[in-house]
Amino acid sequence: MLSEHFGDPEARTLEGWEARGGYSALRKALGESRKDIIEEVKKSGLRGRGGAGFPTGVKWSFMPKDSGKQHYLLCNADESEPGTFKDRELMRWTPHQLIEGCLIGAYAIQASHCYIYIRGEFFEATQILARAIEEVYEAGYAGKDVLGSGHDLDITLHLGAGAYICGEETGLMSSLEGQRGEPRVKPPFPAVSGVFKKPTTINNVETLCAVPHIVNNGGEWYQQWGTEKSTGTKLFCVSGHVQRPGNYEVPMGFNFREFIYDVCGGPPDGRTIKAVIPGGSSVPIMSADELDVGMDYEAMISAGTMLGCGSVIVMDDTTDIVKQVRRMVDFYAHESCGQCTPCREGTAWAAKILRRIEDGWGTESDLDTLVEISENMTGKTICVLSDSAAAPITSSIEKFREDYLALIGAGTVETARSA
Amino acid sequence: MTNDDGKVRKIRPRNPGFAGITGEFDLTEAQIRGTDYVGARPLDGGHPSVAGTMPYQLTTRAPDLPLFEGEYLRRLEKVLSRYEDRRAALLPALHIVHEIRGYLPPEAMDEVAERLLLAPAYVRGVATFYTMYNLQPLGRFLIQVCTNISCNLCGADEVLREFLEQTGTEIGEISENGLWTVLEVECLGACGFPTAVQINERFFESVKAEDVPAILKRLEAEVPA
Repeated sequence: MLSEHFGDPEARTLEGWEARGGYSALRKALGESRKDIIEEVKKSGLRGRGGAGFPTGVKWSFMPKDSGKQHYLLCNADESEPGTFKDRELMRWTPHQLIEGCLIGAYAIQASHCYIYIRGEFFEATQILARAIEEVYEAGYAGKDVLGSGHDLDITLHLGAGAYICGEETGLMSSLEGQRGEPRVKPPFPAVSGVFKKPTTINNVETLCAVPHIVNNGGEWYQQWGTEKSTGTKLFCVSGHVQRPGNYEVPMGFNFREFIYDVCGGPPDGRTIKAVIPGGSSVPIMSADELDVGMDYEAMISAGTMLGCGSVIVMDDTTDIVKQVRRMVDFYAHESCGQCTPCREGTAWAAKILRRIEDGWGTESDLDTLVEISENMTGKTICVLSDSAAAPITSSIEKFREDYLALIGAGTVETARSA
Repeated sequence: MTNDDGKVRKIRPRNPGFAGITGEFDLTEAQIRGTDYVGARPLDGGHPSVAGTMPYQLTTRAPDLPLFEGEYLRRLEKVLSRYEDRRAALLPALHIVHEIRGYLPPEAMDEVAERLLLAPAYVRGVATFYTMYNLQPLGRFLIQVCTNISCNLCGADEVLREFLEQTGTEIGEISENGLWTVLEVECLGACGFPTAVQINERFFESVKAEDVPAILKRLEAEVPA
């Protein structure tokens, strides 16, 4: 559904997109009441694809009705979770799919302006999206009095400047307003006081891309895929030690083992899988014997991990788990905005201790220290970056303790300098 | 990598999501990158809705060009028209400076502060928060190698080492010929095509250490005489 036109350059253009049924959903939506659209999206069971999995229709219904204030829709295109590369493909191949979703979403929540915050590094996707937005204005799908409906719908493409934390919804709002991308305490929730202190809804690219399909075909149609609570299809980004990496769109609830071994071809020849991260670097690592689980929000939680944004990172038996965990924690230490002490200090010290262990100069008590630091980093900060950094540490120590122990006492003169 | 005729080498049909410049579809590089669709963007930013999205890293440098005059001023004014608060134009304004100067010189940040009615220290506070704003001059080509987990699993360390060796630099330095600066960066969002390397505004995907000399040669040939 979402990825049907990947690899087809004609689908990028407005003309090509219209020929493929594009903007029929927008026409339909503008003829319906906002309440009906929100009800239909609620009925579809669509859940936010940015990682948290919050029901989209419910989120939209939090917006005040006829408040008389300016409302905003914010599209989060700051895709930067390590392992994730689905939104980039959606934007570069099907920019109009996203724009149509943005326009419908903005209409549904009474927002006359939608900002698409795209990460600065995505130059190619940005240029494609920019051209597509210009086309949309020329054709009258955006701007004043869209298609004679009497509604104004504006879109502005806003370029980020390289900060992982701006993918967090309140950090993204700060950044859009021209501040450091520091997350804010909730409440107030964005639906009450969001960007420029106005009611705001923030949705991920993939979520908004699904909206035109739901408007066209109905919420019930969308439920034909997936499980009862996790409906529809989802893009999964597969990377690491796997024969066929890339984006795959499969129904929610698909068997994870079958997905990795059959759909993605399994590990490279002669190797076996050691560990898998199912939802981007922020979720707990799974060992190879835990893979018989459905790819949906609930099943992943009962397996002790999370679906996140569906970024599957596969690691085979040649992987140095300690090094990779250290690399992930280094990343969080670099990207921590520094507002909250548990995160700022926790990520930096955890990274240092992990490096010491990697170099062979760690002690067994370092592992206890790491677990303790991780506990102090979880649930104690404004946003979940800190929790995200703790997840790979605790899960890897629990599941791959031998890998850590094997390095203890392995230090050499060469590695002593960094100890 | 692409072949000499500009066609992307076709490996074998894979899944529908794959769209690197190294792989898969029987498309030209322009079709994959979308440059044939986008065409040339006007210097004044085009439609106001997208005026804040121009290149941030070019091979050219204009150390003496006024920052906010003519087309650049028109671009900034279009950007300003899209937000209810002047401050929201700060990131786009810094992008414009970066595009013209190639980095953010202190006096340029002060000029941005003046134009947006912000304190100079505030502008610096914001500029230092974001990794894409460089506060030091760079080589004509900024080579950013992703070494985060997915690329790292597939040999990003070797790719980085090769870039450093071939350009004869340490991380962050400008090479003697002024062409190269190599940096290690966090995830570029192209994890299925490791190693992802961003060179100025362009992505190079599925880069192996042995591809490095050819990439540098290709870039060298692009330098305007």
